[in-house]
Amino acid sequence: MSEILIKNASVCDPVQGINCETMDICIKDGKIVESVSSNAKVIDAEGRLTMAGGFDGHTHSAGKINVGRFINPNDARKNPVPGLSGQVARTEKTRAQVGYNTPNTYAIGYRYAKLGYTTICEAAIPLLAARHTHEEFKEIPILDKMGLSLFGSNWQVMEYIRDKEPEKLAAYVAWGLRASRGYGIKIVNPGGGEAWGWGKNVSGLYDPVPNFDVTPAEILMSLAEVNERLKLPHSVHVHCNNLGKPGNYATTIETMKLFEKIKLSRDRQALHVTHVQFNAYAGTSWRNFETGAPMVADYVNGADHLTFDLGQVIFGPAVTMTADGPVEYANARMLHEKWSNQDVELEDASGVVPLFYSPKSFVNAVQWAIGLELALLVKDPWKVMFTTDSPNGGSFVNYPEAFTYLMSAKRREEVISGFSNMALDRMVLPGIDRELDFYELAIMTRSTQSKMYSRPEKGNLKAGSDADIAIYDIIPGQIDPSTEYVKVKKAFSGAAYTLKDGEIVVKDGEIEATPKGRIYWVNAKVPSPIDSAMQKDIDIKFRKYYTVSKANYMVEDVYLQKPVEIATEGVF
Amino acid sequence: MTVIKDAVCSFCGSLCDDITVTVENNKITKIENACILGHSKFVGMLEHDRIETPMIRKDGELVSVSYEEAIEAAAKILVNSKRTLSYGWCSTSCETVSGAIQLAEETGSVIDSTANVCHGPTALSAQEKGSPSATLGEIKNRADVILFWGCNPVHAHPRHMARYSSFSKGLFTEKGRRGRKMIVLDVRKTDTAKLADKYVEIEQGSDLLLVTALRSIINGHGDVIPETVAGVPKAEILELTETLENAKFVCIFFGMGVTQSRSKYKNGDAMSSLISDLNQHTKAVMIGMRGHYNVTGFGQVATWETGFPMAIDFARGYPYYNPGETGANDLLVREEPGAAIIAAADPGAHFPQKAVRHLARIPVIQIDPYPNPTTELADVVFPAAVVGIEAEGTAYRMDAISLRMKKLIDSKFKTDEEIIKDLTEKVRELKRGA
Amino acid sequence: MQVVKLFLKEANKIPIEADNINPDNFAGKTEEEIKAILVWYGNGQYPFGDFFNVEVEGRDSVENTKLVFEGDVSRVKRIGQNMSAGEIEINGNVDMHCGFGMKGGKIIINGNADSWLGCEMTDGEIILNGNASYYVGSGYRGEACGMRGGKITINGNARDYLGEHMCGGEILVKGNVGLLPAISNNGGKIVIEGNATMPANEMKSGTVIIKGEVSDLLPSYKEEGTVEVEGVIYRKFVGDVNVGGKGVLLIKRT
Repeated sequence: MSEILIKNASVCDPVQGINCETMDICIKDGKIVESVSSNAKVIDAEGRLTMAGGFDGHTHSAGKINVGRFINPNDARKNPVPGLSGQVARTEKTRAQVGYNTPNTYAIGYRYAKLGYTTICEAAIPLLAARHTHEEFKEIPILDKMGLSLFGSNWQVMEYIRDKEPEKLAAYVAWGLRASRGYGIKIVNPGGGEAWGWGKNVSGLYDPVPNFDVTPAEILMSLAEVNERLKLPHSVHVHCNNLGKPGNYATTIETMKLFEKIKLSRDRQALHVTHVQFNAYAGTSWRNFETGAPMVADYVNGADHLTFDLGQVIFGPAVTMTADGPVEYANARMLHEKWSNQDVELEDASGVVPLFYSPKSFVNAVQWAIGLELALLVKDPWKVMFTTDSPNGGSFVNYPEAFTYLMSAKRREEVISGFSNMALDRMVLPGIDRELDFYELAIMTRSTQSKMYSRPEKGNLKAGSDADIAIYDIIPGQIDPSTEYVKVKKAFSGAAYTLKDGEIVVKDGEIEATPKGRIYWVNAKVPSPIDSAMQKDIDIKFRKYYTVSKANYMVEDVYLQKPVEIATEGVF
Repeated sequence: MTVIKDAVCSFCGSLCDDITVTVENNKITKIENACILGHSKFVGMLEHDRIETPMIRKDGELVSVSYEEAIEAAAKILVNSKRTLSYGWCSTSCETVSGAIQLAEETGSVIDSTANVCHGPTALSAQEKGSPSATLGEIKNRADVILFWGCNPVHAHPRHMARYSSFSKGLFTEKGRRGRKMIVLDVRKTDTAKLADKYVEIEQGSDLLLVTALRSIINGHGDVIPETVAGVPKAEILELTETLENAKFVCIFFGMGVTQSRSKYKNGDAMSSLISDLNQHTKAVMIGMRGHYNVTGFGQVATWETGFPMAIDFARGYPYYNPGETGANDLLVREEPGAAIIAAADPGAHFPQKAVRHLARIPVIQIDPYPNPTTELADVVFPAAVVGIEAEGTAYRMDAISLRMKKLIDSKFKTDEEIIKDLTEKVRELKRGA
Repeated sequence: MQVVKLFLKEANKIPIEADNINPDNFAGKTEEEIKAILVWYGNGQYPFGDFFNVEVEGRDSVENTKLVFEGDVSRVKRIGQNMSAGEIEINGNVDMHCGFGMKGGKIIINGNADSWLGCEMTDGEIILNGNASYYVGSGYRGEACGMRGGKITINGNARDYLGEHMCGGEILVKGNVGLLPAISNNGGKIVIEGNATMPANEMKSGTVIIKGEVSDLLPSYKEEGTVEVEGVIYRKFVGDVNVGGKGVLLIKRT
C-alpha cells in the first residue's frame, strides 16, 4: 500500500473545471483518492503547474513505424531536440535510445513520459499484422496503450455493406477488434486501400470501390452505425478521402456532414476526424494551393457531433506513414523520396515516405499555418485534440515547441516572419491573435481525450482516476506564456515530475522508473447466432483467400502486457 | 494421441501455418501438409544427433558439465571481453532475439544475424529506396504476372508457389496458374525456370544492367538501350517490359541471386525504383525470398529495439550500425572480436576461412539443438530445445507477417529464451561483483 | 606552429575510435593533456596515452596545429573526424572514416585508407598517397547526401561506390576504381584517370570524367557527341535518364 501526497499543486484539470487552483492531490495504490494517511510520501509541487498525464490520441508508435526505422537508419543519429532525440547510451535504469522521428520502442516510452504523457493511442493496426503492433507495445515502457484497428477497405466489411447485412457487419467488426485486440474502428481513405490493390484510388465519397460496388460514404456510414450498435468507447476515427490534395477541404466537410445523422449510443462524439491539417486544403493545384482551415473551422464551430485532431506540421525532417497507400506513392514520386509500401491482403494498404518540411517552401509554410489555424479558429477546445500525427507532421518530441505556437502570437509571428509573401497570401494565421491558456492546452492534450475515448479514469485528476500526473516547472500566474515561451517550452520538455499509476517515473526531466503499461482492448459482445453466421463467412475467406489460418490470425493473450478488457454489449 | 492443427513450420521464410502434427507419447508420429524440407525439420530430431548436455572445452576436449557451470563459464567470457560478437539468431524466436539484444546491449557487444550472408543487402537497398511490398495474400489474390528473379523456390521454398504465388488461386485469380504469367530470370535454367512461361537467362552479375534497361524503357528512354544488355537481346527486353506494363498486378520475388551477385544491394535498390516506375503504368510490388524461417523476425525485433535491422554495435552503450564495418564477417575477417556467442547458426560451415580461423582462436559460446562445425570451435556449448517444435515463440514470414509457433512436444532441454535469460542474469551478477 | 607526433605503442586488433583526435581538440594542449583524452576501444574508454606515445612541439591555434601519426594506424578509426582546420599527416595505413564530416584543413595519408574516407566532408582537403577502399566521399547509411564540398585526391586505386550520394566537392582518382563510382551523384565532380565499372548510376547532376576504360556502361545514358577538355576528346553522355538527370559523364574516346 503506497501513498503519496502532492502538496501545493497548481492544478489545471478541465474535466473538473479546475483552472490553476492551488490544492493537494492524494494518491493511494496508483489511484487518486480524497485523502491519505500521515505516512504518505510528500511531493511538494511548490505551486507548479499540475495536470493529468498527457494522452496522445493519435500517434504512430508501434507497427508501421518499424518500416520508418528500417528505411531510415540515418534517423537514429538525428538530434534536433537534445534530451528528447538522438543516441543515448543505456543506463542502469534505461535501455539504449536512438532516433528522432522513428525512435526505438524504449525511447518512445521514455520521451513521452518526459513530456508528462502517460497514455498513447496507436493510430492504425492492420488486423493481419496486429500481433506485430502488440509485440512493439510490449517494449514501449511506462505508457498505457491502445490502438485502432483498420476496417475501411476490408473485403468482408465491404461485402456485408454491399449485401446489406448490418448485423453480421457488426459481428465482424467485434470479431476483428477481438482478433487484433483493438480499441476502436479506424477508417483510412475509405475504399482507397482496396483501389490501391490495383494501383488506383477513389476520388471522393461517392466514387465506388472497384469490384465491390460500395462507396466510401457507405463504408463510413455503415461502420458508424456498427460503432453505435456495438456501443464502442471511441467513435469511428476517420482519415478522410483525398488526403494531401489541394481542394480536399470540401471532401472533409462533406464527410463531417454525413455524420450529423448518426444516432449516438453513448455519450461521446459520433465522429473523430484525424490530422485535419492534411485535409483542409483549398485551391485546385499546388500552384494555387491555400488554406481551407477557415471553412473547416466554420463548419466545426456550428457542429456538435464531432472531434478532430490537428496533425500539426513541425519544420524539419519528418516521416509520413499511413494506411493511405496511394497518398504515399504520390508523395514518393513528387518528392523523389524513398518509398515503402505494404498492402495487406483482404484488408488495407499502407506506405511510408520520409520528407522534410521547410519554412522556405510555401506549401510547407501554409501546411504549418493550417494546423494552428484549425486549433485557434475552432472556438471550443473540447472539439480539438492536439497532435502532430507523429511522426507524419513531425515527431511528438516537438509538442512543447508546438505548444508555444498555440500559446503565443508573438512566437508565431517570429516563425511567420521567415515566410515568403506568397505563403502569407495563402494563410489566415497572421490575422489570428488568439492565445491558448494552460486550461485550454490541458483540454487539447488530455481532457478531450478522456471524453473522446470514454476513459473516465484518464486525463483528469478526480478521485478514483489513475494517478497519472504531470507536474511542470511553471508557476501559473507568475509566467506570461505569450512572451515567456522559451520557459514554457523548457518546462513542457522535461516534466518536474511524471507519475504513472502513482509511481514517480520522471523527476526533473530524467527517467526514474520504467514500469510496464497497460493495453486496453475492446471486447464487444454479439449474440451468438449472429456471430456464428458471420464466422461461416469468414471461414470461407480464410479457406480461399487469406494466407494464414484463422486460428493463427487471432492475437494470443501472451502478447498483451497488463491487458484491460473493455467489454461492451451490442444492441441487436 | 494428440493432433495439433495449424502448426507453423519453422523451416523457411514461407512459414506455412497449416501443418497438422500428430503426437504420440511425446513423439511426432505424423506430419501433414509439410513439404519435404519442413518434414525433415519436424522429423529431424529423430534422425539427427542432438547436443545432449551442456559442455565446456577442457584441455582441448568438450566435456559434459552442469548447466550452471556452463552458464558461469559463458558469463565470464562475456564479462571479460572488450569486443564480443553475438551472431545468428535467425532460426529461433523473436522472444529469444529480444533477450539476445538486451544481453548484447548490457555487454557492449556487436549483434548480427545470418542476414549478414544472405538478405542483408535487401535491408541496405530498402535504406536507399524503400521497400515497395505487400503481404503474400495480395499476390495470391491479384497477381497476374509473377517474376522470380535469382531465386529457386522449387528447391528453397517448396510450397511457396502453391500457397502464395504461381499455382495459388484467389479472388481475382480464380484460374490459378492458367491465369498467370510466370517469368523466371536467372543465370541458369533452374527447376523453377522449367515451370515458367518465360525464362530469361542473364549473364552472371549483370542484374543491375538489366534492371536499369527495364527502367529506361518504362520511363520512355528505350532509345538509349544497346542491342544487348546483360546478354539479353533488346527485343526480348522490350517484350519483357511490355508484359510487365500490361499486367494488372506484378510481383517480383527476388532471391540471393540478386542480393549476393556483383553489385549486391544496388540491385535491390534499382529493383525498388523499377517497381516505383512500373506503378506509373500498373500495380507492382516486390518481396524478398527470405531463407531462414525467422531472419525477417530478427530484423523486425532489432529494428524496434535498436533502430537497426542487423550489424548493431553496442560498444558505446547505444546502437551503432554500419554493415561493412559492424557486420559479423567484417569483424571476424579483421580479427576484432575477443569472444563470440553464436546461436542457431553455423558460421563454422558458412563463413570465409579467415573468419573461421579467427573464431577458432577466441572463446566461442554456442547455443544450438544440434552439433555442427561451429561446435568444433566452441568452448561452451548449450543444447537447446528446437523452436517451433519443442518451444513456442514468434516468427516473421518473408512478408513481415508474424505468427505464433507452437510447442508440439516436451523437451528436456532449455529453450533459447531461457538460456539467454539465465546468461544475462549471471552476467549482471558478475558485473555487480566486479 | 604546434606539431604533435603520435607513435602507436603496440599494434592493435580492436580498433581505437579516434573521433576526437584532430587539431581542433589538440591545439594548445600539452602532452599530458593530450594523453588524457579518452578514446573508445572496444566497449570501454581509455586515455589516448595508453595507446600512443605523444610528442608535442610548440603550442598554437587550431589552424597552425599539425598531427603526425608515425607508422601504421590501420586500426585507428575516425582520425580527423569533424576537423575544421589544421593538418594531419599519417605515415602509414589508416582505418575507416578518416576525415569523416571534415569541415576544413588538410589530411595527408602516406599509405592506404580503409572505407569511408572523407565521408560527408563539407570542406578541406584529403590527399591519399595509396589505395582507398569502399565508399570514398559517400554518406552514412540511408542518407541522401554524402560529400558536400572539399577535395579528395587519391593517387592510387579506389574500390566500389566511390562518391556515393555526393552532393558537392571533388574527387580525383589517379588509378582505377571498382564498381559503381559516382552512384547517385548529385552535384559533385569526379575525375577517374584509370578504369571504372558501371559509373554514374542514377546521377542527377554533376560531372564524371573517366580517362581509362569503362566496363558495363549502364543503359540509362544518352550519348551526345564529343567534347574536348584540355586537349583530350571525350564521348559525352547525359543522364541518368531514369532520374531525369542532367549529369554529364565524359569517357575518353579510344
